[in-house]
Amino acid sequence: MLPNESIRRVLEAGLAKGADLAEVYLENKESLSLTLDEGRLEKATQGNDVGGGVRVFYGNNAAYAYTDDLTEASLIEAAGVAAAAGQNANNAQVCADLTKGESPVVSRIERPFEEMSTQEKAGILRQMDDVTRQRSPLIVSVQCGYTETRRRVWVYNSDGVWAEDDRSFLEFQGQVAAQKGDVRQSSGAGVGGQVGLEFFDDRDPVKMMPEAADTALLMLDARPAPAGEMPVVITNGWGGVLFHEACGHCMEADFITKGASAYTGLVGEKVGPDFLTAYDDGTIPGRRGTMRFDDEGAATNRTVLIENGILKEYMWDLTEARRAGRESTGNGRRQSFRHMPMPRMTNTYIDAGPHDPEEIIGSVKRGLYAKRLGGGQVEIGRGDYVFTVTEGWLIEDGKLTAPVRGATLVGNGPETLRLIDMIGTDMSLDPGRGMCGKGQWARVSVGQPTVRVPKLTVGGTE
Amino acid sequence: MDYLEFAQDVVSRAVERGVEAEAYVNVGQNTSVNVDRGEVERLSQAGSKGLGVRVVRDGRMGYAYTSDFGTESVEKTIEAAVTLAEVADGDEHRTLPAPQPVPEDDLDVYDPAIVDLPIRRKVEMARRIEKAALRYDERVVLTNRCTLLSQYGTVAVANSKGIAGSYDKSFIGGFVMAMAADENDRSVAFGFDFGSRLADFKPTAIGKDAARKAVGMLGGRPVPTQRASVVYSPMAATSVLGALSRALGADAMQRNRSFLEGKIGQTVAADMVTVLDNGRLPGGIATRPFDDEGVPTAATRLIDEGVLQTALHDHYTATRDGTASSTGNANRRSHAAMPALDASNFYFQPGQEAPEEVIGGVEQGLYVESVMNTSSINPVSGDYSISAKGFWIENGELSHPVNEVTIALPLQELLRNVKAVGNDLTFVPMMGALGSPTIRVDGVMIGGLTAEAQ
Repeated sequence: MLPNESIRRVLEAGLAKGADLAEVYLENKESLSLTLDEGRLEKATQGNDVGGGVRVFYGNNAAYAYTDDLTEASLIEAAGVAAAAGQNANNAQVCADLTKGESPVVSRIERPFEEMSTQEKAGILRQMDDVTRQRSPLIVSVQCGYTETRRRVWVYNSDGVWAEDDRSFLEFQGQVAAQKGDVRQSSGAGVGGQVGLEFFDDRDPVKMMPEAADTALLMLDARPAPAGEMPVVITNGWGGVLFHEACGHCMEADFITKGASAYTGLVGEKVGPDFLTAYDDGTIPGRRGTMRFDDEGAATNRTVLIENGILKEYMWDLTEARRAGRESTGNGRRQSFRHMPMPRMTNTYIDAGPHDPEEIIGSVKRGLYAKRLGGGQVEIGRGDYVFTVTEGWLIEDGKLTAPVRGATLVGNGPETLRLIDMIGTDMSLDPGRGMCGKGQWARVSVGQPTVRVPKLTVGGTE
Repeated sequence: MDYLEFAQDVVSRAVERGVEAEAYVNVGQNTSVNVDRGEVERLSQAGSKGLGVRVVRDGRMGYAYTSDFGTESVEKTIEAAVTLAEVADGDEHRTLPAPQPVPEDDLDVYDPAIVDLPIRRKVEMARRIEKAALRYDERVVLTNRCTLLSQYGTVAVANSKGIAGSYDKSFIGGFVMAMAADENDRSVAFGFDFGSRLADFKPTAIGKDAARKAVGMLGGRPVPTQRASVVYSPMAATSVLGALSRALGADAMQRNRSFLEGKIGQTVAADMVTVLDNGRLPGGIATRPFDDEGVPTAATRLIDEGVLQTALHDHYTATRDGTASSTGNANRRSHAAMPALDASNFYFQPGQEAPEEVIGGVEQGLYVESVMNTSSINPVSGDYSISAKGFWIENGELSHPVNEVTIALPLQELLRNVKAVGNDLTFVPMMGALGSPTIRVDGVMIGGLTAEAQ
């Protein structure tokens, strides 16, 4: 991007008023997105977002300024704005030599997006649309989208950090609506990852569409979900959104250091059953949350969050790590150069457990099977969460008997985790569509095996 | 730099390639101050700018954007939009709007006092938010995310049909999360205020509001599963409005993605329900003289005393409809996004009753103060099931706090079951701006404890 001499001058401008750390973050994001609706390629958008920011630390306090003009002069001006609060100009620190960081994580993609024409990419959307409509005359609306993003980041700081990352993401998504009389139902599907065109070697976005269509069709005749407490079995893969929402957010260090999280002070304590182990792993090749370095230049890690039911570690960014006098776990992420980093999950999952998934469903006399899930939300302070079941089934005497619609699950995260009494052997990660919002958007992966919670509140209408 | 001239210049350069063209320019200054125990924990300030170019040829549309206003970058952006338009499929309704007279009423969306506000005053306001929360009650143990935001800037839109306009806007807002704790429980609540005029902005009220709600919810517990009356606070009622605004979009109706499709002219709600969208509401958070494709904004009566009157339109949906005209509801999240149909200041028309009277009319039921996961409400099916917190109503009075329950009822029924509408219209900055008074809805399914668990 800019030569290292320029970066050093920017960092020194950040240190000029007595700051103890200055950081430069540069970013170049290119993206293309296509939307096919009603069988027509309607929207085609392309763009480039380039900019950089300078962050200056005075103890635990940080100031940030950014610019979309990537010249040394503009960055030095930003550094001056960020440094403005300092009062100790006579004691400015010197910037350490910048040393390029190495990471074992490979983020190189094999086949760049340019090797396929925009027309060909649109052609895949047309196939997705076709197979969906062929599924049933009751399908009344199909919308399919493709997005590719290449985000290159450069991070430097006055302690000598120099980290570069090059992240390419590809995503397909589809939305389906079905109608019968006055009843309408919708469903969606998505697949993708941190991957180039080699994505197509082992995955096919067209294949997910019939299943999405079937969910919408099934829900047309589904009966309303029951309301009240009952055993709930949650599907593997995307079902991990439960752990992400209900517990993961409560293990992010910003809420921990403030004492504002339900998990504050619980490292070393029993928080779940003996057979529960959970990770946040920013190093898994090809996943949406994977990074060589995080957005503060720290190497990513496989962090053991919970081991055999015992809380082991939180997820740290630089700000919170400095506050606690420790190292970052590589969880400092930002949406763009216009945002300050905060602790975020990467790829977060519950590991495989001891139970046969079929036996888990077989064990329930009367309850709910959450087969497809939508999004969720948590209130971090108390750990109260909610999320949506987009395809639910009644379990009666150990068998899936009838589809139900409109179900929501509510509970308290730490309490639900303690209640889990069965974890399947079938751990899998989600198909690659996770997007997490915490004031800023971040791509994430989630995962889990089939999980049983013996008592959870279901919010249906019956 | 004159941004309107710049936008017009971009349009004329694009037109040379034989396309209809539109340029959207958004330039602004943003400050965000975050305080923790009186210290400035995070401070961010910067200017940002963006250009979005939309081109149309034979009904084929392409879009490209950049944050670099240099000649070379602009050329590249125009080129990309023209190339993408060649990939898109044609649609005869896909055109750019022609100019219409923009009324010159004072919309009160720009306050020079916000522009001139020095950084130390912003820091001081953020501290006042926090202090008000911490001082409210000794059970308020901490605040989190105590933030003051201020923004100002200019929007310019020009197109090859002759649209050319620009306006200045400003915004100030603050929010805080307060946490309360006693020996048995902890609870968290959110307070906020926002607006386009500095004089109306009340930092202390933000902190107090968050603290009052957090303390009030201590000791909350679920109630038994049952069907009952629910009284929504204005904040909680916006959960209904968000999904309703999407279902009332003409794009959703034309594409068969709305539970209200085919219902224009029919009774869809109780007769005390009137729903409005007003992009010209003076001082409103979503107020502006024209929308993001340059069409003048308007006041639109969508549901009038229970009867569905019309849908929200942008230029495309109105052209496709044939008889409708745009209601000025084209919106962009940023310069990087193509305009899409969205509500502006979208609200339930207030009634006569004070909120206490609305609650007073309920013998047994749930007062809902806040809700979660409103994005799950489905405007296609009308399915509505979210989590709620609030107070149990006993003989017209609030009794104990309630949490970890769900409230569910299909929107089709919910709109018909509205039994009271308060006089306390309040706006929340979501999806434009959603506004509601306190409302009562009967027959809502409350999911909580099972009978055996009692």
